[in-house]
Amino acid sequence: MNNIFVRIDDRLLHGQVVVSWIPYLKVNEVVIADDEYANDEFMRSLIESSGPEGVKVGVKTIDETAAFLMDDNERKILLLLRSIEGINELAKKTKISSINIGGVGAAKGRKRYYNSIHLSDNELNMLKDMAKDNIYVEVRILPKDKAIVIKGN
Amino acid sequence: MTFPDYFLLSIFYFWASSTALSLGIGYYTIYRPIMAGMIAGLILKDVQKGMLAGAVVNIIYIDFVSTGGSFKGDQCLTALIAAIASIAFNLHPLEAAAAAFPFGFLGILIWKYRLKINNIFVHIYEKKYTENKAPDISVYDGLLPQLLLLLMSSLVIITAVLLMFLLNNLINFNNIGVLYYIGIILVVISAFNILHKINNKYNFIIFASIFLAAMLFDIRAYILFILITLILIFKTDKNISFVKNKFTGKIKKIDLVYSWFIWMNYSHSCYSYERLMGLAFAHSMKNIFKKLYNNKYEISEAIHNHTEFFNTEPNMGTPILGYIISLEEERKIKNQSFENISYIKKGMMGISAGLGDSFTQVILAPLFVSMAVMLCLDKSYYLAFIPVILLAVLILYISYKGFMNGYFKGKEFMLQRIKDVKQSKLKIYFPYMFSGILGLSMSRLLFNNIRPLENIFTLLIIIFASVFTYMRKKGEL
Repeated sequence: MNNIFVRIDDRLLHGQVVVSWIPYLKVNEVVIADDEYANDEFMRSLIESSGPEGVKVGVKTIDETAAFLMDDNERKILLLLRSIEGINELAKKTKISSINIGGVGAAKGRKRYYNSIHLSDNELNMLKDMAKDNIYVEVRILPKDKAIVIKGN
Repeated sequence: MTFPDYFLLSIFYFWASSTALSLGIGYYTIYRPIMAGMIAGLILKDVQKGMLAGAVVNIIYIDFVSTGGSFKGDQCLTALIAAIASIAFNLHPLEAAAAAFPFGFLGILIWKYRLKINNIFVHIYEKKYTENKAPDISVYDGLLPQLLLLLMSSLVIITAVLLMFLLNNLINFNNIGVLYYIGIILVVISAFNILHKINNKYNFIIFASIFLAAMLFDIRAYILFILITLILIFKTDKNISFVKNKFTGKIKKIDLVYSWFIWMNYSHSCYSYERLMGLAFAHSMKNIFKKLYNNKYEISEAIHNHTEFFNTEPNMGTPILGYIISLEEERKIKNQSFENISYIKKGMMGISAGLGDSFTQVILAPLFVSMAVMLCLDKSYYLAFIPVILLAVLILYISYKGFMNGYFKGKEFMLQRIKDVKQSKLKIYFPYMFSGILGLSMSRLLFNNIRPLENIFTLLIIIFASVFTYMRKKGEL
C-alpha cells in the first residue's frame, strides 16, 4: 500500500494540494473518500471536474474506497479525506500504512494543535490509536515542511 | 535616509503586504518586487535604480506562490531593501538583490505572527458575541488587524534598514565583489527552477534561443511584448457574458457591488490560523444582512454564522460569495437552517482555491509580471507599467464577473468557471511565452549591464550554476 498517499484536509482539493502535493507526489489519480459528497450528485460532479490537467479525480463513499483499495493496483494514488473520523472508519475496513494531516479547521471542541491544524481530544486519541497500530501519522502542511510525527502511547 | 523616508516606506510596506485596502489587486501589483522597487525608488528619488533592483528580486521570486498562508520569503521586503541598498550604496542591481536576499526571511516572521496574533481578534469577537453584545465585524476584521499590521510593518522596515546600514559599516558592500556573483547564482538558479517546474519539452529550447538571439541581434523587449500581447488578444477566450438582474428581492445590485468591494479589500485582513478568511467572509456579508434582517441581534447572528473557517482563492472564489448571498435570501424566505449553506461553502472553497491558485498565481501573475521585468531590464521603464495594469484589470474582471454570476446564475456557474479555466488557451500558450520572456530578461540582465572584462567569469558562473541546478533536479527524479 506504499503507492497510496493518504491526506486529511477539510479543504480537499485546494491550492496546497493542487499546486504543491500533486506535482511533488507525481500522482495522476486522486480519490476523495467522503460519504456526504459522494451522495450529492451536484457536488460530486463539481469536485470530479475540478482536477488539474491530466489528473483523474473520483469521489467515492468510504465503503467504495475500501473496496477500491482492496483490488490490488499498482497505480500511485492520492487519497483525500475531510475528517479524522473518516480515516478512522476507513482504517478499520482496509489496510492503511501512513496518514498525512494537512488541514483541519477550527470548530467547537477543537484546540489548535499546530498552525492551521485543530484537533479535539477525541480526534487526537484516534490518531494515537492508529499510530499504535503501526500506521505512520504525520502533521505536514506542505511537502517541504518538517513532519511532526504523532506517536501512539 | 531621513525620518519622512522611513515613514513613507513603512506606510507603503504595510499597504503592500496587508493586501487589504487595495481592492485585492495590491497583491498582484504593489506587492510585486518590481513595483515595490519602483516605489522605494520614488521615495529615495532614483526610480530607475529602484526599479532595476526590484526587477532582479522579481526574477529570484518568479516562482512565488502563496497557498493557505505559507510561502518561502517576503519578496516585497526584499525588493524594498534591495532598492534602498542599490540607491544608498550605489550597488549594481544584482549586488543589491544578493545583499537584500536574507531580509526576505524577516518578512515571513510578520506573516507567521500575524496569523497567530489575529487569532486574538477572533477570540475577542467570539467573546463579545457570546456575551450578546452584537460586536461590529468590521472592527475585528478590518480596523484592529490593520492597525496591528501597520505597527508590525513599521518595526520590520526600521529594523531591516538599520540592520543593513550597520552591515554596510562592518563590511563595506562596495568592496566585496562576491555579492555580484551571489546575485548571478540566485538569478540563474531561480530561472532554472521555474523552467524545470513548467515541465514543457520546448521551454529550455525557447529560453536558450531567445537568450542568444537577444544577445546577438539586439532584439528589443517591446517587440516581444507587442507580439505576446497580440497572441493574448487573438487567442484568449471571448465568452464575455453580461449578467441580467432577474431577482427582485431586497438585495439590489449596488448591495452586491458593495459586498464585493468589502471582500476584495478585506479578504486577508484578519487572516488567522484558526479561521483564515472566515471573518472576512462574514465582514462582506454585513451589508447584505442589514438589508435582510431588521433586528440588531438577528443581523449579528447571521453575520456570526459566516465567521466559521473559510479559505479560498479570493478572485476565482467569488462565485461562492454571490451564490451564498442568493442562498441566504432563500433561507430568509423559507426559514431554513444554516447547515446546508455551510456545507456548500466548505465544498466549493477548496475547489475554487485549487483552481484559482493554479491559474492566477501560477500562470497570470508570472506571465504579466515577468513581462514588466523584461521591459524594465531592457530600459523601457514606462512601458513596464502596461503589463502590470493589464494584470490588475484581469484580476478585477475575474473576481467581479464571478461574484455577479454566482448570485444571478447560481451553482451552475461554478461548473462553467472550472470548464473555462481548464480550457483557457492562456494555459496552453503560457510555457512558450514565459520561456521567451525569461530568456530575453536574463540575456539583458547578465550581458547588458556589466563591465565587459567580467563577461567570461560571469559565463563560467552561469554554466556552473546551471549544471548544479540541473544535476540537483536530476537527482530528485
